[in-house]
Amino acid sequence: MLAPVEIDVATLRRMAALGGFAWTDAELESLRPTVERLLEMLERLETVPIDELEPTTQYRVL
Amino acid sequence: MSELIWASMADLGRMIATKEASPVEVVRAHLDRIAALDAKLRAFITVCADAALQAARAAEADLMAGKVVGPLHGVPWAPKDLYSTKGIRTTGGSKILADSVPRADATVVARLGAAGAIVLGKLNMHEFAYGPEGLNAHYGDARNPWDPGAHRITGGSSSGSGAAVAAGLAPGSLGSDTGGSIRIPASLCGITGLKPTYGRVSRAGVLPLAWSMDHVGPMTRTARDCALILHAIAGYDPADPTTSVLPVPDYTKALTGDMTGLRVGLLRAHFTDVAAADVRAAVEAAAKQLERAGAIVDEVNLAQVIHVAAASSAIVASEALAYHAAWMRSRAQDYQPDVRERLRVGAFVSGTHYLRAQQVRALVSREVDEALAKRDVLLAPATPIPATILGERQTTLGDGKSDVRSALIRLTRPFNFSGHPACAAPCGFTGSGLPIGLQIVGRPFDEATVLRVVDAYQRLTDWHTRRPPSA
Repeated sequence: MLAPVEIDVATLRRMAALGGFAWTDAELESLRPTVERLLEMLERLETVPIDELEPTTQYRVL
Repeated sequence: MSELIWASMADLGRMIATKEASPVEVVRAHLDRIAALDAKLRAFITVCADAALQAARAAEADLMAGKVVGPLHGVPWAPKDLYSTKGIRTTGGSKILADSVPRADATVVARLGAAGAIVLGKLNMHEFAYGPEGLNAHYGDARNPWDPGAHRITGGSSSGSGAAVAAGLAPGSLGSDTGGSIRIPASLCGITGLKPTYGRVSRAGVLPLAWSMDHVGPMTRTARDCALILHAIAGYDPADPTTSVLPVPDYTKALTGDMTGLRVGLLRAHFTDVAAADVRAAVEAAAKQLERAGAIVDEVNLAQVIHVAAASSAIVASEALAYHAAWMRSRAQDYQPDVRERLRVGAFVSGTHYLRAQQVRALVSREVDEALAKRDVLLAPATPIPATILGERQTTLGDGKSDVRSALIRLTRPFNFSGHPACAAPCGFTGSGLPIGLQIVGRPFDEATVLRVVDAYQRLTDWHTRRPPSA
């Protein structure tokens, strides 16, 4: 069981700005629970034993 | 009139070829039906009555001159409004593209046009295909024709396709499927919808949601009609580098009705076992029916699919925001709120997350391949729940509470992720009269076997011939 991910609005603001997005603090605050949930789920993927697998971005185009 | 409205595309094509019905009659019957019901169902964003009648008259002239181009000649259909249609606006269900008029057809629209099929209009959808409920704040929410009160969702994102085909406003459609957007509305509206293998059908000229998860496919009332459309649209397209050069078989030849010796794996954990009781019972009954018809049925679990939700969310969020980034900087307020929020999430997924998710994709694809190495197809519900009421947010599955959106995509999304072909078809009704859909998953590029199983099942049952009360 991994610890819950917590992320503050200032961090979200900086991350959004890197992508060129200027969202208000109210908008970021409403996104925060969704982003925390997603990042927590993505953290769990780190425990999946897949290091030997190459990323598959397209498949079986024969 | 009723005979023309409820005839399959295959039957309409035969009736037209034998001059039992004229394309003008068929198109007019469907336009009258749209005029009578669409204000309630909100299936169409744009109706092309004049162009459709003009095309029908041209088809009639060709047929009278002995020129028959194939089994879809003179047969009407309607694409989801994210397929480029030359001279007809293509909105993507959005305000942003409300006045966008393409100068060329999408490859698949052109291929169906060359096969003689006639476009009736453009169908409603969740804005930019980013939602499985089928909601649209700009053009109105499409309504499920199985609910007499018209209070239930169609499922999405190909919501108009589900409503139009189920209610007899169009005999067939093309939807698109990134997490289940063909199979979910097919399941909730009681029709047949096929997501082909990734690379089987060109996506050129189709508005993307997530390039590596998007699939194009037919939505009809029968497996045979899916086979007819797939044959017309499948195959290599230089405009889409992800299309395969594998030859396209005549899918209708696979529809033998014979299930003898076919190996069917009933997907248990994560799939059938979490579905609502009446959905689970209907799918288990379908498995027994296939077994009685000669199939060899066993049970199988896909352990790695528990990672699909996280991994595919990272992929879709990243790819969707990449496509929408410029508009999200300049016109964010023009998106409907739920879509705007989902797009924003993509800004917080890192490159490392994205590639980790693509590694998981390889793992899941391999597991599905392994399950299919010993079986011809896999069987599961298409959706674990029937159509919910508009605005309903929460539901309960066999393993606990879930938001409706996650529940709707839970059983379909693994096969967008893995790329395997999958078809949804009706397999029963709930106590309150709502359709239940099963899902048949096949090996890569083996749509023929998937359609063979669905067609065989439809020969044994009449679920696909039932008509909604409000239609």
